[in-house]
Amino acid sequence: METGVTFDLQEFSLHDGPGIRLTVFMKGCPLRCNWCHNPEGFEPETQILRCNGRERSIGRKWTSQELIAHIALQADILRNSGGGVTFSGGEVLSQADFVLETIRGLDGLHVAIETSGYGSTSNFRALTKAVDLVFFDLKLADAEAHKRYTGADNSLIRANLEYLKSQRKAFIARIALIPGITDTDDNLNALAGWLYGDSGLQRVELLSCNPAAGGKYASLGMEFRPEYDEYKAPNCNMQPFNDLNITTVIM
Amino acid sequence: MTPRTARLKQNILDKHHHDFRRDVELTFTPEELAVSTLDEWESIVLEKKCRAEKPVILTEENILFTRSVGHFKYDCLPAVLSGKRFGMFPANICADWERALSKGLLGLRDEAEASMTRYCRDATAQNFLCSAIRSIDAVLELASRYAEAAEAAGRSDLAIIIRHVPGKSPRSLHEALQSLKFMHSCLFLFSNHVGLGRFDQYILPYYRHDIEHNIFTETEAEELIQEFFISLNKDTDLYPGVQPGDNGQSLVLGGVDRSGKPVVNELTMLCMRASREVNMIDPKINLRIDKNTPHELLREAVKLTRRGLGFPQYCNDDVVIPALVKHGYSLEDARDYTVAACWEFIIPGRGMDVPNINGLAFPAAVDQAIRAKIGRGCFEELERAVATNIRTQVEDYIRLQKTDDFCPQPFYSVLMTSCLERGKDINHGGCDYYNYGIHGCGSANAADALAAVKQLVYDEKSVTPGELLDALWKNWEGHEDLRKHIMGSHLKVGNHSKLADEMLVKLFGWFADACESVGDNGRGGIIRPGTGTAMFYIYLADPNWTGSEPTVGATADGRKVGDFFASSLAPSPGAEVAGIIGVLQSFSQIDYSRICNGGPITVELSDTVFRNEEDLDKVAALISTFANIGCQQLQMNVLDTAVLEEARKHPELYRNLIVRVWGWSGYFVELAPKYQQHIINRNTYRL
Ligand code: SF4
Repeated sequence: METGVTFDLQEFSLHDGPGIRLTVFMKGCPLRCNWCHNPEGFEPETQILRCNGRERSIGRKWTSQELIAHIALQADILRNSGGGVTFSGGEVLSQADFVLETIRGLDGLHVAIETSGYGSTSNFRALTKAVDLVFFDLKLADAEAHKRYTGADNSLIRANLEYLKSQRKAFIARIALIPGITDTDDNLNALAGWLYGDSGLQRVELLSCNPAAGGKYASLGMEFRPEYDEYKAPNCNMQPFNDLNITTVIM
Repeated sequence: MTPRTARLKQNILDKHHHDFRRDVELTFTPEELAVSTLDEWESIVLEKKCRAEKPVILTEENILFTRSVGHFKYDCLPAVLSGKRFGMFPANICADWERALSKGLLGLRDEAEASMTRYCRDATAQNFLCSAIRSIDAVLELASRYAEAAEAAGRSDLAIIIRHVPGKSPRSLHEALQSLKFMHSCLFLFSNHVGLGRFDQYILPYYRHDIEHNIFTETEAEELIQEFFISLNKDTDLYPGVQPGDNGQSLVLGGVDRSGKPVVNELTMLCMRASREVNMIDPKINLRIDKNTPHELLREAVKLTRRGLGFPQYCNDDVVIPALVKHGYSLEDARDYTVAACWEFIIPGRGMDVPNINGLAFPAAVDQAIRAKIGRGCFEELERAVATNIRTQVEDYIRLQKTDDFCPQPFYSVLMTSCLERGKDINHGGCDYYNYGIHGCGSANAADALAAVKQLVYDEKSVTPGELLDALWKNWEGHEDLRKHIMGSHLKVGNHSKLADEMLVKLFGWFADACESVGDNGRGGIIRPGTGTAMFYIYLADPNWTGSEPTVGATADGRKVGDFFASSLAPSPGAEVAGIIGVLQSFSQIDYSRICNGGPITVELSDTVFRNEEDLDKVAALISTFANIGCQQLQMNVLDTAVLEEARKHPELYRNLIVRVWGWSGYFVELAPKYQQHIINRNTYRL
């Protein structure tokens, strides 16, 4: 049986798919986005978070069976509202086998995943096939910039996106608007280009960032070094997407 | 709002109407002081108070009544009062507004006259009915002076109205609202927590009449209802309550009629819109829902929730109605229930229940048992001790309550369904229900404490009884690790913990057992156990509290001395909680058919919840879930903790910031610091 590590389970999460949802945050991410507001999702192992004299252990290890049993406690509520479970992260692809095994035990409950697309092709294919909806978090189209700000190359991401499009899988693209980094007209234009073409794309969600993003770093013994002005309003430019007839919302 | 109603609101916030106030000393003649009955005395006092009131006609107001007397002083008391101890004045009940409006005070006066003939040989009835008539006349006399004053102020439009109501049956929406305002305000001259009942039902005929006869457009009618709502915020500083805002002006929307037919109507929606627009603390809106409530209605309600006023409070008819029936209410009456003040279910016109005689202190019942029994015998023995403690508390409260006298209230009786017909006062047989209610306080902390003790001391044996007792006596000093372990454990209500939920269910079961075993409350009623806390979440945490309810020091759930409990049904403050679903699921397990005094599951949403229209649908779905899984009552508050912190530092900048406190909403900056702190500390769900 597979085991996995989560760093949070959020009940009644509002922005992770249809209906009432439970979002399971998988711990561990191969990227290091400069703006990441979930640094407790970086490391795959459990950790201690220290904040205001209070200590909290971050991360919970589960067997797929245990997680299935936990979800089952509220499955009726999720199902009756037309909702389900969303696996997010961290990076869900990094624990693909565990998530897959869990999904198999959910009796057809609606499942979504939220991924950066940075993971092996085989994991990506297996997981996206098993779910009903994919949230694809896009960051930077420029390969150099992607490497600089997330620590990794984006060619794998692009390839996975192409695959997803070709499968006509229902998906929602999300772009966190980071001032001067991801929100530039150039980047948005280029990402719109990535998304253009036949696919199951439902819409693009542009997320304006939360200025308290760095809040958790210190408590994990890390330093938040944003290479952008946290308090600057992002460039919420929907034009590139509208031009290509892609439904876009700002959240 | 229109510019006019916006000005009316601002005037109230600026307290312009206070300029008309003065204090009045009431004086009594020796004959008055020598009256032989309390009914008579009460009618004399009301008469004096009405006479002392001077009509106030405020510019632009279309619904009249402003208090011109701040406080009434009188120290001489009649001989009949000596030796009496009045614990409770009629409060937290609801008049039969439908009847009072449609008959008018003159119609009711005729009934009283007819009863006088019928009961000509019954001195008690004669005395009651005479006092009732005297009270009616006093109120009508004040109304006639209002008419003169309106005329003198050049408002003959209003003079026509107030010459007609509250004496006669209203001919329009405007007259109905004026009549209601007048009678409701007069009740506040001697009572408090005066409920407004099923407003969208009894006002509906007048509303429809006006729309059908083109007297008003919907928008104009809405403006008038907004004005009525605004007017309820006037003079509330004179209404007694624990904190400003705690005044019981609750109204109920939706639900079913006495035959069980759903009665949501255009006024239901309009009232929620109006409340959202007016954006003030009164009236407190309650919405009755059930499994079949249309999504659209819930969506409209959520828009009001989003306002952050803390209402509507949601009541689940599927749970409440059968429970009331089980508690001895007739099915028709149960279907007609309203919410008295905060959350207590009560039958308009027929219920003279006292739904809040005391608060059962679950934490003390558990803590005393732990300290006395831990390590001696099995866990079941400890449980039995808890049950006994609960029972002792209930019996004590009833014993205390039995020493109270109930003062007759002729004018309130006039406005109830059957008092005049029966020739009996509200407190002496004129009503149908005389039950008591006891709040059930600190239940989550108490359940968590039992769960921790069972798991650590009895099952795992990882903590010795001595160690736990030492920690409790020393307020966890030297036992920080144990405290952390307990606080961080999953054994908490709201956390999908089987054990904690089981303890919660047991606690309420013992509470119900105790109330049921007492049976008769001494007034021909029973005792209804509840889930609310009112102010006890603060009081019971204070070891120096001098009320009759037992308090506690540190408790085995990891709570330190003095830390507050949760308000009504909510997880223990600071406990690990799975989330809103977990909270609803835990509290859905209580057997509400036996626990029916009201008291909402209280959840705080972060204001960031509402980012787009879809979020309204999701919160509406959450409310459906609440009903579907069999919860009883729900209060959803929207909080932005950062704003509250700012408001505390700069109260002058946040004069109008409204928060839900318990069964009522108030201005944050007017609350005592400990209440402010509790609100800031509440568990907010960021979603
Ligand atoms: S991919 Fe997501 S979780 Fe991973 S570092 Fe980037 S923002 Fe954080």
